[in-house]
Amino acid sequence: MSLKAEAATEKGGTAERHRKMRGYGAPLLFLLPASILILLFFIIPVITTVVLSLTDISTLTFRNPSWAGLENYRRLFNDPFIPKILGNTARYLVLTLLFNVTMGLVLAILTSLIPERWGDNFRALWLVPRIMPPVVYVFVWQGLLARAPFGLISDLSGINKGWITAAPWTTIILANGFVGASFGMLLFTSAIRAIPRDLFYASAVDGASTWQTVRRVVLPLLRWPILFVTVYQTLSLLTSFEYILLLTNGGPGLFKTTVWSLHAYKIALSNYFGNVEFALGAAMATFLVFIGVALSLIYMRVFNFNELVSEPKIEVN
Amino acid sequence: MPILPPRWRIFLITLGIIALPIVIGLVWILLTALFDRVHGLIPQAGLGRENWRFLWQGSLSGRPTIWVALLNSLLFSATVALIEVLVSAMAAYAIARMRFPLRRAYLGFALMLHAFPAISLIIAIFFILRLLGLFDTLIGVILVKASLELPLGIWLMKGFFDNLSWEMEMAALVDGASRWTVFWRIALPLVRPGILALGTFALLSAWGEFILPFTLIVSGRSWTLALYLQSFTSEAFVDFGLMAAVGLFYALPVILFFLLGQRYLLNIYSGGVKG
Amino acid sequence: MRGVTVRLEGLVKHFGKVQALKTLDLEMKPGEMVAFLGPSGCGKTTTLLLIAGIYRATAGEIHFDDKRIDHLHPRDRDVGMVFQSYALYPHLNLFENIAFPLRLKRRPNREIREKVEQTAELLGITEQLHRRPAMVSGGQQQRAALARALVKEPQLLLLDEPLSNLDALIRLSARGEIRRLQQELGITSILVTHDQAEALAMSNRVTVFSVGEVQQFATPAELYARPANTFVAGFVGFPPMNLLEGSFNGDFQAGELKIAVPEGHPGGPGFLGIRPEDVRLDGEVPAQVLLVEPLGKDALLTFEARGALLKALVPQEGHPAPGETLTIGFPRERIHLFDSQGKRLPN
Repeated sequence: MSLKAEAATEKGGTAERHRKMRGYGAPLLFLLPASILILLFFIIPVITTVVLSLTDISTLTFRNPSWAGLENYRRLFNDPFIPKILGNTARYLVLTLLFNVTMGLVLAILTSLIPERWGDNFRALWLVPRIMPPVVYVFVWQGLLARAPFGLISDLSGINKGWITAAPWTTIILANGFVGASFGMLLFTSAIRAIPRDLFYASAVDGASTWQTVRRVVLPLLRWPILFVTVYQTLSLLTSFEYILLLTNGGPGLFKTTVWSLHAYKIALSNYFGNVEFALGAAMATFLVFIGVALSLIYMRVFNFNELVSEPKIEVN
Repeated sequence: MPILPPRWRIFLITLGIIALPIVIGLVWILLTALFDRVHGLIPQAGLGRENWRFLWQGSLSGRPTIWVALLNSLLFSATVALIEVLVSAMAAYAIARMRFPLRRAYLGFALMLHAFPAISLIIAIFFILRLLGLFDTLIGVILVKASLELPLGIWLMKGFFDNLSWEMEMAALVDGASRWTVFWRIALPLVRPGILALGTFALLSAWGEFILPFTLIVSGRSWTLALYLQSFTSEAFVDFGLMAAVGLFYALPVILFFLLGQRYLLNIYSGGVKG
Repeated sequence: MRGVTVRLEGLVKHFGKVQALKTLDLEMKPGEMVAFLGPSGCGKTTTLLLIAGIYRATAGEIHFDDKRIDHLHPRDRDVGMVFQSYALYPHLNLFENIAFPLRLKRRPNREIREKVEQTAELLGITEQLHRRPAMVSGGQQQRAALARALVKEPQLLLLDEPLSNLDALIRLSARGEIRRLQQELGITSILVTHDQAEALAMSNRVTVFSVGEVQQFATPAELYARPANTFVAGFVGFPPMNLLEGSFNGDFQAGELKIAVPEGHPGGPGFLGIRPEDVRLDGEVPAQVLLVEPLGKDALLTFEARGALLKALVPQEGHPAPGETLTIGFPRERIHLFDSQGKRLPN
């Protein structure tokens, strides 16, 4: 019996299925899990954050919260510590960014100027801080910067201090920097690898020294990657506080190293102040959300303009 | 750069100096974990087992045992990676290979989320999990972590799916396959590098995750290794040896993976953050 | 395998603003091999993909026998297709590639093994079944693709430029093999190609496409002897037909050149065509040989005759040398006449 005849009897009568060719059933199925998760943990939280910020929810008012309008925002502006926190945030952002980008450049360029295998090894080494679990990574810093006799810095310098408490900003910037630099390092290295060899040969023929070649050939072609890294890391620095939380917890003292995102987190979620103020924290977080949206739109505009989404060639689902 | 500069050894040495802190850090934790007492980088006593007592002493000061934490970390990482790869792949396949209204918008939206600072939503997520009854559960944190990494996953997988041959998928349809079958039996096997890259990235990221479990988990029985290690910092007297040993134990899989697959990791990070 | 009748009615396909297929009406007889012939971008592959179901028509209907099928998903159309790139699944060996359609139908393993081996034998690739596509030659890949298309015994076979990626030598033998196979199986087939020799050699009838429209649908002999317009005239037959633009006024006049034509047709501008192989080396028109291209059995001569450039295909033996002047003739019965739009004028 031919295949077709068998198939016909199998279905008992109508040997054809009237499947809706244009059915969007298939795409829907594929997108459903992702859509649900994104809805639950991105879209709704964004809305929730903004809504919470307009209430007065705290542990005191948990049972019967009420609308507070822009009260939380007013409180923030009148809070005497906010200027300090803003200053901390700016300081954290600028200095860490500077370190990240500069070190990323230095590493990318230097590792490209030595034999490839050595270069690969050094880049791999610089990835270690990034892939280390943050708790372990911070612990290493705490260990090295501890008081004598355990802390290496105290031992070597002869000055016995808890160095994290003594120099909190330096510690934070360096600790974040060692992790952050590898991002730029990898991107810049890819970009350097993409430079046509002919440009280097031409530069050599012109008699340029290494530094001149770097300045004339490499750096100009790194402009876009540098811009990209700067924008991307600005965004992530604005909103990250994990290492700061683990290293100094925003101290020592009152808000010495507290940045905006950390403050929002602590106000909303930790018992530090006795009364956990979810709404106030949400207000602070709302700022971050708006900045995040704005910056990510800019980032998309500037860097994904070449993401020409072409139509799929199969018209049926 | 194609031409090796004559004085490249100077650069090599410079790099060595700059990278010194990292090496020192690794040496420090190794020594501190293995020896009973270490001052700076100099061991003061012999190799000791005392630091490793968490392996056999069971509960230390009321904490869950290391094994509970290990199990949770394993469960957490593996599940996050699984969910992320599966969900991202499905969504990415639809975006890359199927036609439906608002397709471009969906992709643009997913891309925007990729740059979005997910952690700023943690306050709201705290509430949402309480609402869903998933607060203080491992599954709750798993869902959150997997979701926050989705935009990256979708972006990464879409790139891989874009490289598949159209004619091959057409052939599969004509052969009698449904889109789902094409996805499972043709497309997915052929983007294995992408799956491995994303899976590895997700595993590493979840293994080290601290803030999410810290915020969303309270009970000791759901502690991950991150919380376990962190719990020792709040002690009045910091036991460096013990913590170093725990830290080493915790970071070991990562270090091993790193030693075995260096080049692979470099590919992930360079490929996953395409500019 | 039994061949099915394929009928296309008013088929139209637009991609956004681009009209890939204007209006197509076609009917194919069971068991016949029809070629879709034309240059790139003419709409032939588009039509093939519409019939396969990968594309959805903007308008029009497709019928297999008496059933309308254009609303069906490709999987339900019972069509076998060979793609230009062969589109074999790289991660499966040839056996699994060919078995794929049967596995999708959930046929029992024993049956699958039997059918795959049978089909592989038919196409002469039994030895390669355990290998992966990357490990076999282009010719073997093509045969594997063909096997995969045929293993489920479809009612229609579609071939998209199956020979283009083959070496020239293999192409010739593959051509014959495919044709023989198709005739033996008696399966209705459509062959898309841009190679006119291929189309003429392999098919019962040929559809000539140009910019989304059918120029002519006829047997190879008909296309050769009575092309419907200047496009077909110039496209079918190699070396291409000489086409002169001029006007009819009793005779045909193109510049200084005057050619006698049969009477009884309207005057005005138009085209005259004559195939190089029909140009005679004795006649009334003085011409000078500009170029001689020896082709082995024949020689291709380029002439200049009263300001017009013409080519003639003559036997290699005793052909004139370059620079020589002689007179050439255009036998009346071999002349093709076209109006100003390029349409054929009945002789």
